[in-house]
Amino acid sequence: MVKTLGWLAAASVAAGLVMAFGVAPREVTQGNVQRIMYVHVPLILASYLAFVVLALASLVYLVRRDEAADRVAHASGEVGVMFVGLGIATGSIWGKPTWGTWWTWDARLTSVAILFVMYLGYLLLRGTIEDRERAARYCAVLGIVAALDIPLVHFSVYWWRTLHQPPSLMKPGGFTGSSSILWPLLVNLIAFVLLYAYFVARRVRLLRAEAEAVA
Amino acid sequence: MSYARRALAVAWKDLAVERRSKETLNALIFFSLLLLFVFQFTLGGDRERLAAVLPGVLWLGFVLSALLALGRTFLVEREHDCWEGLLLAPGDKSAIYLGKLAGNLALMLVVEALVLGLFAVFFDIDLGRALPGLVVVVLLGTLGLAAVGTLFAGMTANVRARELLFPVLLLPVQVPVLLATVKATEALLLGEPLAAVGHWVKLLAAADVVYLAVSLLTFDVVLEG
Amino acid sequence: MPDNWGFVAAAYGLTAVALLIYWRRLAKKERELEALRRLKAPRS
Repeated sequence: MVKTLGWLAAASVAAGLVMAFGVAPREVTQGNVQRIMYVHVPLILASYLAFVVLALASLVYLVRRDEAADRVAHASGEVGVMFVGLGIATGSIWGKPTWGTWWTWDARLTSVAILFVMYLGYLLLRGTIEDRERAARYCAVLGIVAALDIPLVHFSVYWWRTLHQPPSLMKPGGFTGSSSILWPLLVNLIAFVLLYAYFVARRVRLLRAEAEAVA
Repeated sequence: MSYARRALAVAWKDLAVERRSKETLNALIFFSLLLLFVFQFTLGGDRERLAAVLPGVLWLGFVLSALLALGRTFLVEREHDCWEGLLLAPGDKSAIYLGKLAGNLALMLVVEALVLGLFAVFFDIDLGRALPGLVVVVLLGTLGLAAVGTLFAGMTANVRARELLFPVLLLPVQVPVLLATVKATEALLLGEPLAAVGHWVKLLAAADVVYLAVSLLTFDVVLEG
Repeated sequence: MPDNWGFVAAAYGLTAVALLIYWRRLAKKERELEALRRLKAPRS
């Protein structure tokens, strides 16, 4: 199963690259640097998926104490943090030529940065507790707290940036939603979701093998 | 022993220990004084900049004190080898959580009141009109910090690199509380009525409800044997 | 408008390298685990 996922992921990544560089047009206002969006957006969206899965798996673990759920949460956390970190980095690389700056504290960037640090903490907690069962329990609790915190983070940051603020906030030269951009984006999104699934599946398999080796 | 009495017993014990040793309280007061002095040295001359930065610095002081206080929540149990006792306690362990929370709240509120008073005196800030609103905001904000902080303190009590892990886990999660309290304090100190920061207050209240509910439901899991 | 291909390359390159490193880390751990398993339960 893992192998099939792997090949599927590889194929769709290849397709994604073709779409991003061969099919997608050169963007009118930003130029070719806009092509970074075909990795940046899928990375961020796939990381959101990872964190949703993490939250659900944590809940399942707390209720049923099923170790498989814990392994899924663990793997999803790893891949999620990696993806969101890369998402932030690629966004920053895109931002420098487009906005003139590597970083800005607008609502979206701030929220994603907080997300990154929160789930990095999740991984740190994992790494610090040696006892597998205790780590599973604690991380499940943290996973749920983090998930419940996300709407609070979203609103507080959004209000912080938009209320009593002059309306001339920098907005990314965003999509005008033309289909020539939409299809390459969709293909790449599917590619990164498949990549996520492949990495999680492989990591879970490794975690199970590690657990059995110790038993 | 009934639930409420168990919770009260935990809180009372902690406060009694604190009253005798005053370790944490002293550390927090000393730390707040330090913050006051540093603030004065860096911004004392410039009245305008001081006013602009005050809400942030005030809550920075509150948060750093909170980290100190909350981090020590289970210190007594750890140092005197009573941790097993906690794990083996019969009945609903969330009573322990509430007791610890109450103790932490009391400590934090005392220190915050002191710091606020000191700041008002030394920087000649007129708190008069803003005070009722400030009390509401400080209460809600402190509850939010303490609610999650007590839970995380339980989680990190027996973990390697506890002193590092605890703030790393707590602070990102508490960003909404920090944002809300600082922005609300800022507005209140500028003379705005509490109604003007209603959205922040509602956010704080919602956050408090969420944090308390989750902590009460999951504290048992944290203290499982 | 300059095309900034350098930035595009940096973004794609960074992503590729990071994913590759993770992939290789997984493969390495799998190999180590397999070696350990062979040691513990040698097949006849």
